[in-house]
Amino acid sequence: MMLRIDRRLLLNVDWTLLGAALVIIGLGILSLWSLAPGRTGSSIALRQLVWVALGLVALIVVASMDYHTLVRFAPAFYVAGVGLLLAVSVMGRMVAGARRWIHVGPLTFQPSELFKLIFILTLAWLFTSRWAQPPSRASLLWTGALLGIPLLLVIRQPDLGTALVLVPVLVAVLVGIGVRLRVLGGLGLAAVAVMPLAWLVLKDYQRERLLVYVDPFRDPLGTAYNVIQAKIAIGSGQLLGKGVSGATQSRLAFLPERHTDFIFAVFAEMWGFLGCLVLILAYALLVLRGFEIAVGTRDPRGRLVALGVTALFATQSLVNLGMVTGLLPIVGIPLPLMSYGGSSMLVSLMALGLLLSVRMRQFH
Amino acid sequence: MEVVARRPGERKDAWSRRVLALTAVASIGFLFLVGQLWYLQVLEGGKLQELSERNRIRIRPVAAPRGVLFDRNGLALVDNRPAFTLSFIPRELEDRSSVLARVSVLLKIPYSELEEMLARVPADSLRPVRVRRGLSLEDVAKVEERKLELPGVIVEVEPQRVYPTSSFAAHLLGYVREVNDEQIKQGRYRRGDLIGQTGLERLLDEYLRGQDGGERIEVDALGRPVQVMQRAEPNPGAQVVTTVDRRVQEAAERAMAGHAGSVVVLDPRNGDVLAMTSSPAFDLDRFTGNLEREDWLRLIQDPKYPLLNRALQSQYAPGSIYKVIVAAAGLQEGSLTPMDRTYCNGQFHMGGWTFKDWKAGGHGHVDLRAALVHSCNIFFYQAGLRVGPSAMARYAKAFGLGGATGIDLSGEKLGLVPSPEWKRQRFGRPWQAGDTVNTSIGQGQVLVTPLQVARMMAAIANGGILWKPRLIQRVERVDGAVLYSEQSAMTGHVDLSPAVWAFLRGALWGAVNEGGTGGAARVAGLDIAGKTGTAQRIAKSDSRRGEDHAWFASFAPAHDPQVVVVVLVEGGGKGGQVAAPIARQVYQSIFLERVAVAEIRSGG
Repeated sequence: MMLRIDRRLLLNVDWTLLGAALVIIGLGILSLWSLAPGRTGSSIALRQLVWVALGLVALIVVASMDYHTLVRFAPAFYVAGVGLLLAVSVMGRMVAGARRWIHVGPLTFQPSELFKLIFILTLAWLFTSRWAQPPSRASLLWTGALLGIPLLLVIRQPDLGTALVLVPVLVAVLVGIGVRLRVLGGLGLAAVAVMPLAWLVLKDYQRERLLVYVDPFRDPLGTAYNVIQAKIAIGSGQLLGKGVSGATQSRLAFLPERHTDFIFAVFAEMWGFLGCLVLILAYALLVLRGFEIAVGTRDPRGRLVALGVTALFATQSLVNLGMVTGLLPIVGIPLPLMSYGGSSMLVSLMALGLLLSVRMRQFH
Repeated sequence: MEVVARRPGERKDAWSRRVLALTAVASIGFLFLVGQLWYLQVLEGGKLQELSERNRIRIRPVAAPRGVLFDRNGLALVDNRPAFTLSFIPRELEDRSSVLARVSVLLKIPYSELEEMLARVPADSLRPVRVRRGLSLEDVAKVEERKLELPGVIVEVEPQRVYPTSSFAAHLLGYVREVNDEQIKQGRYRRGDLIGQTGLERLLDEYLRGQDGGERIEVDALGRPVQVMQRAEPNPGAQVVTTVDRRVQEAAERAMAGHAGSVVVLDPRNGDVLAMTSSPAFDLDRFTGNLEREDWLRLIQDPKYPLLNRALQSQYAPGSIYKVIVAAAGLQEGSLTPMDRTYCNGQFHMGGWTFKDWKAGGHGHVDLRAALVHSCNIFFYQAGLRVGPSAMARYAKAFGLGGATGIDLSGEKLGLVPSPEWKRQRFGRPWQAGDTVNTSIGQGQVLVTPLQVARMMAAIANGGILWKPRLIQRVERVDGAVLYSEQSAMTGHVDLSPAVWAFLRGALWGAVNEGGTGGAARVAGLDIAGKTGTAQRIAKSDSRRGEDHAWFASFAPAHDPQVVVVVLVEGGGKGGQVAAPIARQVYQSIFLERVAVAEIRSGG
């Protein structure tokens, strides 16, 4: 059976990685619960707990599987993933002007979240396939084509956040396989050249968000409101935070999307700079440990999987934290392991499972 | 050019180096973050803390103005005006008990009432809870002066219903009141919503309500608005063009002043309701402000039932008006002819009972026409026996009695047309000749509503068409787009031969113009045809028993009928003496010009 776990594997479980993840999850649920103590608050926290439980089961399942098998099946996953994305754009549920969700029984699921994992597996499969050795311009073109399709679908949903996250993951994997900086630079230039095209694809509200990043007071009533309120929330936490009851910004609902994308602002207001330091340390620990696993792996597939997953974590957490603290424009990326949302939690834990799977099989 | 760099000997370390480079990039990102947090929370923290203290945002609903109702000539029947509403914002009531106490003293509202209102909503709600609508300017000034002592108390400006006079067309328009708990449970309304509870306001509520807007206002620590952050404009309710003629409605209400009863004015050509009154009425104004509980109890426990719409929710014996049905049935069926004569000495004996005429000594020799003109009971006792109870019932039903008129207002009573079958089913006893005698002059078990009588008169006036009484012409958005429109609808037809119609109209004309019972309705320059009725009250053993209901059912001009006027005065006495003069006033208002010309001619 897949779930039969080798004792030797168990010895190699990375407790640091798991520990950091669990600390983050715990702080996230605490923040959700303290958002509105009472029926609504606790029901959100409870639902999140259910997803955490599901996610942990998925983590164990993924970790106990040999990632080689998963990479081997990557093309199939890829086709299924693109199919799901297509299904969403055809019959998905509209929420806040975007079709990102699919109904699975009573639950809604976001295929674009799952696609992040498929993307990583596909990259690992692609760059370790015999026909792509050594990586040539032709194989780079193949990559471009294979990744362009889902990227367009995701952008169309529109889910700018997911699309933007996939790019750094791709760059990290390209750097990892040793693509020359000059070639990367060329790709970058090409991307910049395509940007005006992307601008045309973007929805008005997405353009507005980018423009507001350049000039936050462009529209203090609309989009910039989020940025300003988040900054006030974080800043007013000061060194030690206001505690649960004093967090007026979060509690009084000034913060928009406070339980999803802006959950960090809630945490920062309640626990202050010191609390944030702990949380950021946990994220940094997770990311550094992920890179360490990548470095310590000899198997090329394991390397790329570990690198991709780590890059995904690093990008998501840095972009989300950067946007909430006003360093980056608001692009709607959830904070992994912390934001409220089932798909995101499930996929983040599955990604950790992949990382653990690589780690446990490092010394084969 | 090679895409991937290859340096022999370095292969093993190359991977580590590249990953380390990526690690360095990520680490720099985390360091930036910590730096930004240090800047925001420690360096700027004090300033942002202050900002958060002052950061108070209120989300205020902006009530949509309720749609306006117009009469057929474009005059407003009900409109809106801005009014002041006192509200609490639960979350901002810092010292709840002392703020409530102050408000209680200031505006003389019982403390317990305020507490009760707040108990219904969550204590941390930001949504204002309306405490009192329709504040006087004086009260507004009182609250504004003490604003600093009243955190969480605000005065909002909201549109409120305003009526031409406080009880104008009260039953027709209906009142608007805050939703009650029952209605909230149905889930369609939010607490504090104003909805139409009766009449047209209720019927058309969906159209009239519009959609509330909202705004997000930033306020300072004292609750003064600093800026409007976001505003969604309310969507005003749709306006309604009714069939009512405000002038006629007003005249009818004036004429009924001091009486209990109802006036219904219809257009017999299409069934339009031109006026419909019910008195005593209630003050619509009282509902829009805060109706005190005692006032409400007083209203619903009032022995005069002011909330009842007597035009369609009260049933009365039709009295002599029913004789028109008996005559129509008899003539059409052949059991009566215009030549039938009888001698009326004021008494009619049958089976040991004596039935009397209303006129002591009787009317002498009468034929069918004279019997209608003078409303001779003795003639109709005999006529009724000839026509028979089943035929009478059949014709009464054909004229729409004992059935719904189909008017859109709710709570319509059906009335009752007794027949032998009905009596057997209802009481298990056979129909007696005495029942026929009673029924033939509209007494006994017969019950009708003023609206039914009006429809019946309209059918006589227009040659047999029963219209559904139409109240609404159309509903249109403020921009003029028509959302709903209603055409006149025929719901039935009475088939009588032209000679019978002509006879009936002629007899009704005679009742007003040939010294008949309806003479008091006469208006110079106008031919009115009508029938009086005096209905004995259904015997109830209370003190109000005794006075009869006065009816007058009519149409004019007799040869080209344009309006039907039906008047019912509860406990008014004789129809000819009480109801007919009221109808006269209504006609004078409708045919103002014609009447004026006639008066000038006769004067000159």
